[in-house]
Amino acid sequence: MAKNGLPLYPTTVVGSWPRPAYLLDALRKHNRGQMGWKEFNAIADRAVLEAVEYQEEAGLDIVSDGEQRRDNFYSFVVEKLDGVRLMSLAEIMDVVEDKASFEAILKAADAPAWAIHNPTVVGKVKPKMRLALDEYQFLRKHTQKHIKVPLPGPYILTRSMWVKGITDKVYRSQEELAADIVDILRDELIALRDAGCDFVQFDEPVLTDVVFNRAVKERTFMCASMSESSGDPQKELLLATRMMNSITEGVEGVRTGVHICRGNWTRQEVSLLKGSYEPLVPTMMGMDIDQLVLEYATPRAGELGAFAHHPKQKEIGLGVANPRSDDVETVDSIVERVKDARQYFEPEQIFLNPDCGFGTFAERPMNPADVAYKKLAAMVQAANELRKAA
Amino acid sequence: MTDQKTLNGIDVPALDAALKTVGAQPAAAKAPKSSRVRWQSGLKFKVQVRNHAFLVDEPTHLTGDDTSPNSMEYVLGAYGACLATGFVLNATKRGIHIENMEVAVESTQDNSFKFLGINDEGHPGFDLVTAKLYVQADADEQTIKELWDRTLDSSPVANSLSREVRLKSEVQVF
Repeated sequence: MAKNGLPLYPTTVVGSWPRPAYLLDALRKHNRGQMGWKEFNAIADRAVLEAVEYQEEAGLDIVSDGEQRRDNFYSFVVEKLDGVRLMSLAEIMDVVEDKASFEAILKAADAPAWAIHNPTVVGKVKPKMRLALDEYQFLRKHTQKHIKVPLPGPYILTRSMWVKGITDKVYRSQEELAADIVDILRDELIALRDAGCDFVQFDEPVLTDVVFNRAVKERTFMCASMSESSGDPQKELLLATRMMNSITEGVEGVRTGVHICRGNWTRQEVSLLKGSYEPLVPTMMGMDIDQLVLEYATPRAGELGAFAHHPKQKEIGLGVANPRSDDVETVDSIVERVKDARQYFEPEQIFLNPDCGFGTFAERPMNPADVAYKKLAAMVQAANELRKAA
Repeated sequence: MTDQKTLNGIDVPALDAALKTVGAQPAAAKAPKSSRVRWQSGLKFKVQVRNHAFLVDEPTHLTGDDTSPNSMEYVLGAYGACLATGFVLNATKRGIHIENMEVAVESTQDNSFKFLGINDEGHPGFDLVTAKLYVQADADEQTIKELWDRTLDSSPVANSLSREVRLKSEVQVF
């Protein structure tokens, strides 16, 4: 048995699920200001129930709400926080001095400036409503399964929401903003724990940008303001660790995790970042969290040997299904991957999940629901075989 | 505020009237233009066109102060702006509402080193210029593509770049 009454090799998702067409339609209306939050939420309720049904049907042990209420995994905070506004790059480029690096983002994304949005701090950041407690409470009423709630990590929120020329008119320093974000995320973690949530996962995908991208001072696919970082990867990783630990310090009774991947916005594997987790392992080990939710279903992530010097220290949410491919992973290939992982993790420490969400960005799902379902079902079958053999 | 007379921020009856007035004067088709470029210092210049003025500078790696775009960047911007203008004009004349529109333009030069005197091979002009239209409008894709083709075909800057233009010059020393 793994902890908290879960079977060995618990199966779960990273978070997001493809949105049905009716939900996307409602989301667009909501984003255009043509539909209120309450009305949108009522439509999203139905989509959440469908997403959960797929996960339960596939046999998962831990389910999420599929992030159906979110535009994407981090920009949804604009709805929940005062002082944050979703700004298009067109609006941002009118204000910032360094327009050339935003132009580079647009070129890389092959997109117009009006179509890319970044949550931007434009005032003192304060909670308007809970970030995800409402999502959890709705889900709790409709499933008997364990529940995972993903939250954006403190590092991506602090770095992405700081836009020089806008945010520095409100906050004297990024440290000041970081302190507010840490407080908000810590309060949310405690509220989720108190409500009975089993697993809170913090998403910090841009940590791979910090170590793999050409230069940490260049803006990246989802972190519009990375150029306002220190420029020193080690300092950035230390900051990310400190923020995470300030959130989780002394909070017991809920499983915590950090999800780090290399991008999930395109099916073109060559466009995504590539490299072993090795340079990030000391950072991950320094984080006071229970589980590392990592991608290991494609060769881009390197080998599990990255943990050779830090074996069996934390749980791993082992990525065994590629959310961006048509092919469903074979049960045998998943079992083999888990056997690899057992060199560095105890069986009780290994959870199975896809590499990332199936719909990180609402408008850009990586697979339709039926393919996502088949991938989860293969994962569950592999977990059953592993349990039988244990 | 938008009323029935206004489309894409353009007063449609006023546009129709303006086109009628201009079209009735055949000599106006030549659209004569002039500009005057005054040296400021270093590689910085002030350009005057009608009652407008703008600066031209070079980037710092070419010993300019990078206070403004350089000449080739203005040409590139002018090309994109000309296409954008033409598209909005054509769409408005067709009664099509545009929600969002952007034109992204990129270029390479045959050999910019010739301008800098580094070597004398080839020519320093553009050898490839690409333009991409991003648009959200109340029209189907086929209509948008037709409008874009019409825009490219009728663009003064596109034609100036793609056709041979007679260039005359002289010098007067004071």
